[in-house]
Amino acid sequence: MASAGIEEIRSWILSRHPERDDVAPDENLIESRLVDSLSFVELVYAIEGASGVEIDFDNIDIRDFQTLSSIEKAFFAAV
Amino acid sequence: MVSVLIDQNDRFLDILERLSSKSVEDYYNPYKLFEWPDRLPENMWWMSPELTTTYGTAAAERLTQEQLYALSRYESINFYSLNVHGIRELLIEVTKRIHTSGFETPSEFFHHFIGEENEHMWFFAEFCLRYGKKIYRQPAGASVEIPRSDVESLLVFARILIFEELVDHFNSKMALDTRLHETIRAINRIHHQDESRHIAFGRELVSALFAEVKKNSTEQELADVSAYIKRYMTYSFESLFNPQVYRDAGVEKPQELRRELLQAPARAKFEQSVFRKTTKFLQKAGII
Repeated sequence: MASAGIEEIRSWILSRHPERDDVAPDENLIESRLVDSLSFVELVYAIEGASGVEIDFDNIDIRDFQTLSSIEKAFFAAV
Repeated sequence: MVSVLIDQNDRFLDILERLSSKSVEDYYNPYKLFEWPDRLPENMWWMSPELTTTYGTAAAERLTQEQLYALSRYESINFYSLNVHGIRELLIEVTKRIHTSGFETPSEFFHHFIGEENEHMWFFAEFCLRYGKKIYRQPAGASVEIPRSDVESLLVFARILIFEELVDHFNSKMALDTRLHETIRAINRIHHQDESRHIAFGRELVSALFAEVKKNSTEQELADVSAYIKRYMTYSFESLFNPQVYRDAGVEKPQELRRELLQAPARAKFEQSVFRKTTKFLQKAGII
C-alpha cells in the first residue's frame, strides 16, 4: 500500500503531464522524460513539501529520484 | 557554423568589434574596486522590496517590518547565489566553444566574456560568503537530452541570454535604489554596466542562430524550441522563490509559503515585469 506522501508525488507528476493517466511505481521518471533538468528541482521541492524532510542538495543521489518506488523508499519509508 | 553566420553579417561584425573594444576600455580590477565593510546593517532593505518574492502578496501583510528586512537579506543572498551558479554554467558552455571549429570569429570577444564573468562570479560569491556566510545550493539536475548541434547552440545561448536579462532587471533597479547600502548598489551597478555588453552580444547571436535553425527545421521542431524557451523562463523565474530562504528567514512551512507565492495574483505581474524586455525580444525574433 503506497503512502499518502508518495501519492502526492504521483499526483504532482500527473498534474504536469495531462496526457498520462498513471505512473507505474517502477517507471523511470527521467528516462521517460516525466522529469527533466528543468523540473528536477520542483520534484525535490515537492518531495520536501510532502515528506517534511529537508533534502541536502550537496548530497543528492540521483538514484533516489529515478522511480516512485525509489522516492518512497528514500523519503517516505518511515511514514 | 557560428563564425560563418557572423562573418556574413556586417552589422554583427561591427557590434562584435565595438563590444570587444569597449571591454578593453572599461577594464577594471574588481579585486580593488569595491568597499567591503565587515558587516552591513541588518535593519534595512538588502533588496528593493518591489523585487522581493512576497511583494504585493497577502503573505507580506502577515510579516513584520523586521521579518521583511530579514527576508530581503536572505533573498539577496539567494539572488547572488543564483548568479554564481548561472555564471558557472555559462562559463562551462562558452569555454567549451572558444577557439574550437566554428567559433573562430567570436573567440576574441569570448576572452573578454569569460574574464568578466569570472570576475562577476568572484564578487557575487564574496558578497554571499562575507554577508550571508554561505552560497545557496542548487540540486544537481537530471541529465538533459542533447538535441541537434545547431539547436543545442541556440538553446545554450538563449539560456545564457535569458539568465543575463533576468539578472539585469534586478541589477538596473538596485543600482539606483537609495534605500540600499552603497556596497549593494555598487555590485549591481558594475554588473549592469558589463552585462549590457554581454546582452547586446547575446541578442545578436541568438537572432543569428535562430535564423539558421529556422531554415532547417520543421514546424514541430520550432514549436519544441519555443516550448523549451518558455519553460526555461518559468524555471529561471521560479528559482527566485527558494524555500531555503524562507526557512532561514524563520518561516515555519517554507514549502507552503513558496506554493502560496507562486500561485498569488501578484506573481503574473512580477514575472511579466522581470521578462518584459526579454519577451519582447524573443517574440520579435520569432523564437517564442
